[in-house]
Amino acid sequence: MDERVLLDHQFTVAAYVVTWAVQLGYLAWLGLKWRAQKRNAARAARNPR
Amino acid sequence: MKKLAIGLYAALTVALMVWGFYQAIYVAPDEQTMHEVQRIFYYHVPSAMVAFLFFAISLAGSIGYLACRRNRAEWAQISDAWALAGAEVGVVFCTVVLITGPLWGRRAWGIWWTWDARLTTTLVLWLIYVSYLLLRRFAAGPQVQTLAAVLGIFGALDVPIVYMSNRWWRTQHPAPVFGGGEDSGIKDPAMLHAFAWNVIAWLAWGILILALRYRVERQHQKFAAQEAQEALDA
Repeated sequence: MDERVLLDHQFTVAAYVVTWAVQLGYLAWLGLKWRAQKRNAARAARNPR
Repeated sequence: MKKLAIGLYAALTVALMVWGFYQAIYVAPDEQTMHEVQRIFYYHVPSAMVAFLFFAISLAGSIGYLACRRNRAEWAQISDAWALAGAEVGVVFCTVVLITGPLWGRRAWGIWWTWDARLTTTLVLWLIYVSYLLLRRFAAGPQVQTLAAVLGIFGALDVPIVYMSNRWWRTQHPAPVFGGGEDSGIKDPAMLHAFAWNVIAWLAWGILILALRYRVERQHQKFAAQEAQEALDA
């Protein structure tokens, strides 16, 4: 395969992969944050001051 | 019923993402000069459009907070949650723009980065909103929300400058695809369809994570208010 074509392909794949990594990484972080908050709320409900 | 609606919306979003990907990779033809690497366009430009929209939501939330903070506490908190959610999800999309852009530029122009008006104003926009998020994360005290709202409004002022930068100044960045004069616009219908599907798909995805981020923030606000009330009562 022509080197230019190969590099074009690799850069395109990299852009798509990075896009999904950023978006799914953020979604995962959000999910963890939500779960931690639910846990804190449940703990607070069990042990009121 | 609400869970079912959310599940259906999420399924629709995933279907749109798959369809958008299929359109961008398999249906849209190769561009004549840039060939395959031009397909980055189908993720790069919709991400920029969604980022702008969410910064506008952050602006509306910030204005809403400043307008309601003295007499309508609940509305102020809702506005603040939208302001934070819009800024944070906007930063995620803007990050995608700032990563995919140099990847495209390296192949199209032979350089990763240049300090031209479009690229520089976009980086400044990203930095302003990252500083907004850092302020929200690390500052404490009763004035944080007010300061963040003011910063959010100033940050949003950069959005029209980014949008107009390649109209006002000569830039390395290509001329506007839409709204840039008679020659602008995508001529090939298959390319236009692929672009439109990806705009719809990324917008749907963005709305999904924006709603989730808003919900997490509202939960956080309620929990913090409850803790403060219990501390006062103790």
